[in-house]
Amino acid sequence: MPTRDLTFAIVGSGGDGVITTGDMLAQTGASVGLHVMKVEAYGPQIRGGESSCTVRISADPIFAQGDLVQVLVVFNWADFAQFRGEILAAPDAIVIYEEADDSPREGIDLGPDTGDVRWVPVPFIELAKESAGTKLAKNIVTLGLLSELFKLPQEPLEKAIRGKFAKKKPEVLEANLRGFEAGKLHAAKIADAAAGKRMQYTPGEPMLLMSGNELSAVAALHAGCRFFAGYPITPSSEVLHLLSELMPKVGGYLVQTEDELSAIGAVIGGSFAGVKSMTATSGPGLALMTEMLGLASMAEIPAVIIDVQRGGPSTGLPTKSEQSDLWQALWGSHGDAPRVVLAPADVEDCFHATVAAFNIAEEAQVPVIVLSDQFIAQRRETLSMLTLDHEVRGRQVPSAGDLHEYKRYKETKSGISPMSWPGMKGGEYQTNGLEHTEDGSPTSMFLTHEKMNAKRYRKLRLVRDKYSFYRHYGTERADVGIICWGSSKGPVKEAVLRANGRGERVSAFVPQLLYPFPYHEFQDYIKTVREVIVVELSYSAQFYKYLQTFLDLPEGHTYVFKRSGGKNLTVGEVEDKIQKVLEMSAMRREVLV
Amino acid sequence: MSAAGVKVELKPGAYKSGLKPVWCPGCGDFGVLNALYRAMAQLQIEPSNTVILSGIGCSSRLPGYVKTYGFNGVHGRALTLATGVKVARPDLTVIAVGGDGDGLAIGGNHLIHSCRRNLDILYILMDNEIYGLTKGQVAPTTPTGDKTKSTFWGNPEPSVDPCELAISTGATWVARGFSGDMKDLTEMIAAGLVHNGFSFLNVMSPCVTWRGDDQFKEMKAKVAHLPEGYDPSRRANAVDYTREKDKITTGILYEVEAPSLTDQLENIKERAMAGNGVPTTKEMLSRFYPKF
Repeated sequence: MPTRDLTFAIVGSGGDGVITTGDMLAQTGASVGLHVMKVEAYGPQIRGGESSCTVRISADPIFAQGDLVQVLVVFNWADFAQFRGEILAAPDAIVIYEEADDSPREGIDLGPDTGDVRWVPVPFIELAKESAGTKLAKNIVTLGLLSELFKLPQEPLEKAIRGKFAKKKPEVLEANLRGFEAGKLHAAKIADAAAGKRMQYTPGEPMLLMSGNELSAVAALHAGCRFFAGYPITPSSEVLHLLSELMPKVGGYLVQTEDELSAIGAVIGGSFAGVKSMTATSGPGLALMTEMLGLASMAEIPAVIIDVQRGGPSTGLPTKSEQSDLWQALWGSHGDAPRVVLAPADVEDCFHATVAAFNIAEEAQVPVIVLSDQFIAQRRETLSMLTLDHEVRGRQVPSAGDLHEYKRYKETKSGISPMSWPGMKGGEYQTNGLEHTEDGSPTSMFLTHEKMNAKRYRKLRLVRDKYSFYRHYGTERADVGIICWGSSKGPVKEAVLRANGRGERVSAFVPQLLYPFPYHEFQDYIKTVREVIVVELSYSAQFYKYLQTFLDLPEGHTYVFKRSGGKNLTVGEVEDKIQKVLEMSAMRREVLV
Repeated sequence: MSAAGVKVELKPGAYKSGLKPVWCPGCGDFGVLNALYRAMAQLQIEPSNTVILSGIGCSSRLPGYVKTYGFNGVHGRALTLATGVKVARPDLTVIAVGGDGDGLAIGGNHLIHSCRRNLDILYILMDNEIYGLTKGQVAPTTPTGDKTKSTFWGNPEPSVDPCELAISTGATWVARGFSGDMKDLTEMIAAGLVHNGFSFLNVMSPCVTWRGDDQFKEMKAKVAHLPEGYDPSRRANAVDYTREKDKITTGILYEVEAPSLTDQLENIKERAMAGNGVPTTKEMLSRFYPKF
């Protein structure tokens, strides 16, 4: 039986070419229109150390990383041991490992149910040395072997190899092509092991293969961002990297600042000067920016901040995902400082959420935090160009009438006052971190403070009414409804669709606008479900507690599935919770009858 | 421009915002503000194309008193805001102002990097050797041994020389002035505004409230202008003069030509855009198709 969906994992040391192998596999899939999701994981080492690359390739749309790996390639078991509990093999997985690897294998844990795993030793190093004359060609041998064994498209792979070594001496390319052939030949010897795992698909048009960070960067330029200031921090730095190349190409400017304080300061300065401006950071950086988030709130200056969450607190797990910056993004503040918090739910959404963030920031003159996370920011997945467009809006400019005795913070019904910028004659004003009157003059008067607080918060109404966006999956009415946010969406959606496939009434609700709180949308959703499960990767259940501050979740019918990040949420985990709650719900109904 | 298209000359008074300074009578910052009005009038600077930014402190209230675009930000971060304004809008005249605590203590890191980048702005640091707004604590420029609200037993730390710091970290124009010498200060502000690159002006600006009436007299007695024929292009000269302990040497200590951050970023933009139109979103995305 052929398959339409395969998940590969390749594990080894930094020098084993694990990432290149995974990357070439992913590109190959994308080049023939297959759906691909690629996730890399590393230890904290700068060079060397354990690394893994998981690539799911499917003929049908996919929403999550494959929970269970069907094809596991291990160059070194000691490295594999570093990912204990993170890379789990399917019950009938094929485990292809380096024959010559003598690292201890005791206590290797492939997963809870791996009784039928097929173990296939392969002399990768020997094959590489024999065919290419160097063990460095090991990853190319691997590509040859995998492509032959699982019927992956070989022509694009060969092209990829030619491209990769195009700039090297012809001998090097020839050697690698021999390595590729050697892998293919060896595959014939172990072909039986791949039974049931050969890919069947119809080739289609090539797809884009992008990460959330890359999309956020392009989205910012699409939105008209022409100034970026940032300080490097994992896992957000790819935004800085890509913009460092692209920003000047569109006529904009970029500065790598001395720290995050400076980055947010520069963004506020650039925006004050009339240029759409953005920064990108992670939790520790957002912490440093907190004071000036208050300044942007107070001075009503648009600013877009992308926070790519990682495990915390403190340095935490810099290379791994978590959903635990939520409270910091929502409430991290001195004083009453309105801001907007958006959460993209997948790679493609990083485009839409980033453009929406600019639209909101400009229209409501507030700081907007885009809460991305490592899982969506750094994984690469296939996308269609057609879905990547989004309307762009700008800020409200003062009219000639407004500029006569201009009041920057003029009271309005919506709370939004037309905003001038330098170069505009008659629009001169002083902006302030101090409380101020309508013309911007500092004041400490209670009455003005109360009035201005109300004005600043009033702007959020417009955001809530105009920019609330959520996703609803599954049946219209459901026995079990899942509420989650951000990158949890992928596994939740896949679990819900699977449950629906079994005829179970399950649904999910995923808001993109987290704050201001889309109360009515939540309330309407809750009415459609019998039991609620809140799913999140935060040990202290930040999202659940946030929901509680606004919503009456059904008492006795609300369950929370939360745990630390560091391991991405799996479809299996969500399915398991759905089953448990379904059983509980059925039991209760029996009792009531 | 008037209706007839004839440029109306702006007098110093034209730059006044009408907001009354909160400073104590006798504060040195009045001198700096007045010199700034005069220098701006001297150069006929267009108010609507000018931004003055500050952090927190007595002197950081200054932007409110000038009729330009102004930004009174948060403590220590004036230069970060100014970086954003100048980089995003290189066409604007950008001035940052603040005190010794704001610029050398909490904001010290930004000063170093603004100097290093040769950020094309004028930064006026009003130095009263004390924290004024928080009512009299020790500052990075307070002399060793001085008794302040927070150094009951005398200041145990050495002070920093702001000019030496600016020179050593890459500022291309470094000067020291005295708030009691209006003519000199006006000239220096004008020169700093004209200079291409980071212009650092350290103004000795006495605090009558927390350093007493004598500070002005003491400073005035120590002020000595750089000698005729002084060569500001030599770093060693500048450092020698700024280090003089018993004198406050005023004048343009250091001045060299070097590409400003604006120059460098314009150069990058030119190279990036050479021969190409601005790429569309679709074109930028297209590079993420598999390369084979």
